Amino acid sequence: MLLVRLAWLNLWRNRRRTLITGASVFFAVIMAIIMRASTLGIYDNLIHNFVSFSSGYLQVNQKGFHDEPSLDLAMVFSPGLIGILKEEGGITAVIPRMQSFVLAAGSGQAKGALFMGVVPSLEKQSTGLHRRLCAGSYPESDTAQVAMLGVDLASRLGLKPGDTVILIGQGYHAVTAAGKYRVSGLLQLGSPELNQRIVYLPLHCAQQLLDAPGMATSLALQIESPAKMEALARRLRPWIDTTQLELLTWKQLFPELDQFITADSAGHIIMSGVLYLVISFGLLGTLLMMARERTHEFGILVSLGLKRSRIAFMLLCESVFISLMGCSAGIASGWLLVRWFHLNPIPLGGRLKEMYLSYGIEPVISVSNRPDVFTVQAMVVLFISLALVFVPMVKVFQLQPVAALNS
Amino acid sequence: MEQNTTVIDAHELTKIYNGRQVPVKAIDGVHLHLEEGEFAAVVGPSGSGKSTLLHLIGGLDTPTSGNVVLAGTEITRLSEHKLIDFRLHHIGFVFQAYNLVPVLTARENIGFVMQLQGLPRSSINKRVDELLAQVDMIEKADVKPAKLSGGQQQRVAVARALASRPRIVLADEPTANLDSVNAGKLLDLMARLNREEHITFLFSTHDPRVIEKARRVITLVDGRVVSDTRPG
Repeated sequence: MLLVRLAWLNLWRNRRRTLITGASVFFAVIMAIIMRASTLGIYDNLIHNFVSFSSGYLQVNQKGFHDEPSLDLAMVFSPGLIGILKEEGGITAVIPRMQSFVLAAGSGQAKGALFMGVVPSLEKQSTGLHRRLCAGSYPESDTAQVAMLGVDLASRLGLKPGDTVILIGQGYHAVTAAGKYRVSGLLQLGSPELNQRIVYLPLHCAQQLLDAPGMATSLALQIESPAKMEALARRLRPWIDTTQLELLTWKQLFPELDQFITADSAGHIIMSGVLYLVISFGLLGTLLMMARERTHEFGILVSLGLKRSRIAFMLLCESVFISLMGCSAGIASGWLLVRWFHLNPIPLGGRLKEMYLSYGIEPVISVSNRPDVFTVQAMVVLFISLALVFVPMVKVFQLQPVAALNS
Repeated sequence: MEQNTTVIDAHELTKIYNGRQVPVKAIDGVHLHLEEGEFAAVVGPSGSGKSTLLHLIGGLDTPTSGNVVLAGTEITRLSEHKLIDFRLHHIGFVFQAYNLVPVLTARENIGFVMQLQGLPRSSINKRVDELLAQVDMIEKADVKPAKLSGGQQQRVAVARALASRPRIVLADEPTANLDSVNAGKLLDLMARLNREEHITFLFSTHDPRVIEKARRVITLVDGRVVSDTRPG
């Protein structure tokens, strides 16, 4: 306790230096938090946009459907299966969807499109599809005979709300599927790719069009915590008849997206590393200075009977104190900033917006407020302070009392 | 009749420093024998090896050859760890520059060594109060060194040196930074403690006031004892 108190008092012998060092740790932690939170936020947003309106974070489908997305591999979904899935905690919604490819035609133009049969009321409740409406209206009933189109697809086909879209494709067991629907609304989704390709139809309509009553190609599962997706998938699999069905995560469904995130995040981790390296040198400089200018005092302490290991412990405490002060202030301020930007994402404009869109990313900077954004930074800074204090500690162990007393 | 006990026994003590060009013999075959309760001064011109001798006796430096036995323990054979422990319990140091811990008050500085010894708080407080009274520093007990005069700081340093009830106090030029009034008071104080508590004092000094008070004067020249007298 004596040494801990001594370490604390020593910090305030040169108040300005301690505050400057603490401030460098503080700004490093804030910058690292913001950098990591925005990176993870962009990834989370990207994943959310990509999977919410296509597969869900988890998807249950007939075995083989993912490899060969044929309507012939559609499944009959029973309330029993939905009940089983919902019984396991962590799932917020089980959303049946019917996915296929059709040729969509408007006034003189036709284009291949991704066709999605959805339950409008369920999507409204769980994925907020209605919030993506940029023109027209959202279907008021689950049985309405209307279609919603991605805004870029509608533009390509020359369609606007109130016009008619013609869908031609192949139905269940190779029946011909053709129908015409009034365009009720246009959707601006987070994924530009989907905006260029997607056609939404109420599931009931889709089943009629494809001649697949009571069927769906997949059940999209919305989950409470994307971070716990893998664990949830492991818990769910034993409850599913795996001879008929399979449960896939978005990483299995879109491995290229997962690879892109992994590769991109490596760059961000290197940037964080550089940031911490700069901070490390700052902290090391202060610790060395604090040790060097007290060489004489260490000589006194050793001559009085204080063991070198205890002086080293005192230095460790000083380093930890500075880091803890800077770190806790950084985390508290970082949390406030992250909270603000999490609730108020920054929309991008101009060339940056175009660049994001060209990569298929929604042009907003949203930040993630996952707890590990904060805890990891705190751990890293503490680890650095513990590692750096090793240098002045070595100097204490090499200290010659007489030379120190004469210094 | 009181029987004297040897507390310092240095035998054939030599210290050679590796200088830039030639080795420098700072202490050259010194024999020194001090009985318990002595009040002795090592004197000599600058560079004669006074401080080096004290450092060797206090175990702060290791001799090139020879040995030092303090209170029956040959400290030149002790490991670094045991040597620090020995110093903590048996030796008190008083330095020319006082060398108090700047962030601690006078009271805390005096109690510091006892805290390192792991003594209970109550006995530390009792001993500190006792020492503060002895060095006449009760009124400044809660003042930090920066706000004390040189004389006051040195009195606190003496109290700190005595806190662990050491058998030996080694004082390296203790009056060098003090004016004559404070130097006189400090010497009176140490002489009294020597008499009352029977602590052995060994000074390195070239201050005539200290030499005058000392009951034994050992003169060093070029690292060798050239005279060892007991004035009066």
